[in-house]
Amino acid sequence: MSFLAINHATYAFQPSETVVDSVEWAIGQGEFHCLVGRSGCGKTTLLKVAAGLLQPTAGSIFIDGTKIVAPSAQVGFVFQTPTLLEWQTVSNNILLPISLRRTPSPRDRQKATGLLELVGLADYAGRFPRELSGGQQSRVAIARALINEPAVLLLDEPFAALDAITREELQDDLQTLCALHGTTVLFVTHDIAEAIYLADRVAVMESGQLRHEFTVDLAKPRQRDMRYSPHFNNLCLEVRRAMDEAA
Amino acid sequence: MIIRLCSAGLLLVLVVGWELFCRTSGISALVIPAPTAVLETLWGGLTVGYLWPHIWVTTVEIVLGLAAGCSIGFFCGIVLGEGDFIRRLLYPYVLASQVVPKLALGPLFVIWFGSGILPTIVITALICFFPLLENTLTGIQHIDPQKRELFRMLGATPLQTLRRLKIASGLPVILAGVRVAVVLSFVGAVVGEFIGASEGLGAMIIGAQGMMDTTLMFAIFIVITIQGMIFYQATLIAERWLLRHHMNGTGP
Repeated sequence: MSFLAINHATYAFQPSETVVDSVEWAIGQGEFHCLVGRSGCGKTTLLKVAAGLLQPTAGSIFIDGTKIVAPSAQVGFVFQTPTLLEWQTVSNNILLPISLRRTPSPRDRQKATGLLELVGLADYAGRFPRELSGGQQSRVAIARALINEPAVLLLDEPFAALDAITREELQDDLQTLCALHGTTVLFVTHDIAEAIYLADRVAVMESGQLRHEFTVDLAKPRQRDMRYSPHFNNLCLEVRRAMDEAA
Repeated sequence: MIIRLCSAGLLLVLVVGWELFCRTSGISALVIPAPTAVLETLWGGLTVGYLWPHIWVTTVEIVLGLAAGCSIGFFCGIVLGEGDFIRRLLYPYVLASQVVPKLALGPLFVIWFGSGILPTIVITALICFFPLLENTLTGIQHIDPQKRELFRMLGATPLQTLRRLKIASGLPVILAGVRVAVVLSFVGAVVGEFIGASEGLGAMIIGAQGMMDTTLMFAIFIVITIQGMIFYQATLIAERWLLRHHMNGTGP
């Protein structure tokens, strides 16, 4: 049974310019799916449609059987850049999704502290975003997206700007955090190895359409050594070929 | 620190040079008075007390004019920034109203509002209005698109987005507008007083002109300069305090 269902979603900025072309995709509850594609293939737009930030020109999005017509509290979103409010402390940034609805309670603050501990930033609660490194800022952004324990988490190339080692650390953290509450994830990236490492399933997108899909049969949770196994590399190669073919 | 000492030293050199020039060239005190004479007049004015009521009047005009001009400018900036339709409708008129030299309206204001402090306050407010409008408009419109999407994603109301994103993130630009307004408010108040006021430092300058009292004029310039610097520094301190969180981590 699919938890997040994308039914023939189409999005066009103008009638002649279809960015997302009748995409059909389903993610089961607690699954981690990655969407790979070149820049400009429409993957970010598809993600925004799935989030309810953009209204599909045709087709629809269902989360847990409910049609998505506007951004919902059930969905967490992580942007390409951390998008933190520079004038707020780390802990207030994490509490933003709550403080926009009500005054954060002591329980909410505890939850924020707990999340900060999980992402290894327990000592940074009172700091400001500019005092943090890029990787730390990304961690805060993920913690903020998870504070309401959303059923679905959508991520738009969140680690693209980070160095390779930090990126791998964050991938491990993300994997742990999402497994914690069985979050259903759709992760957009242009990094094939990242997609294989994180995902249960990988979709290749090109010119607004999903051209290929792969099932990643690596054991979970993924571990660092797997990145260097022949099977992992074969999977990367397969996805790479599919991308070349799609182009 | 060394720069500051040099800066103070430069002032000293200039003042001493001026004094020497006045003493040696035999130039009439009606044209350029010696600094010692100016300071003497200034000291007299402050101790005898005839300067204080005028300083007070000008200060009141500046404070009220600034407060009115800045708050109306800020409010209009937000209205124009938030309403696409109203901005397109009204902005040409706002612009036109700013191109009219506001000081030229002074005589009209004297007819409308009498010869008290009100016309000067209105002129000062008009002058302060535009930088605040312009900077508020710019500040709340140039928001990172991803931050807007973040607020949409989190289901923020338009009022929350305005207060917690647009104004908060545009605050540095808005406060830069306040700083410009503070400088301009002195022009507004002093020149406003030239036109029809009987009290205030501007009116005093006109009075001194009537008596050919150049020394007094220079003394008043000094008062206005010091007053302006106090206002400007106070604005800077307030700005730093308001932006203390914006500044965090941007430098030492």
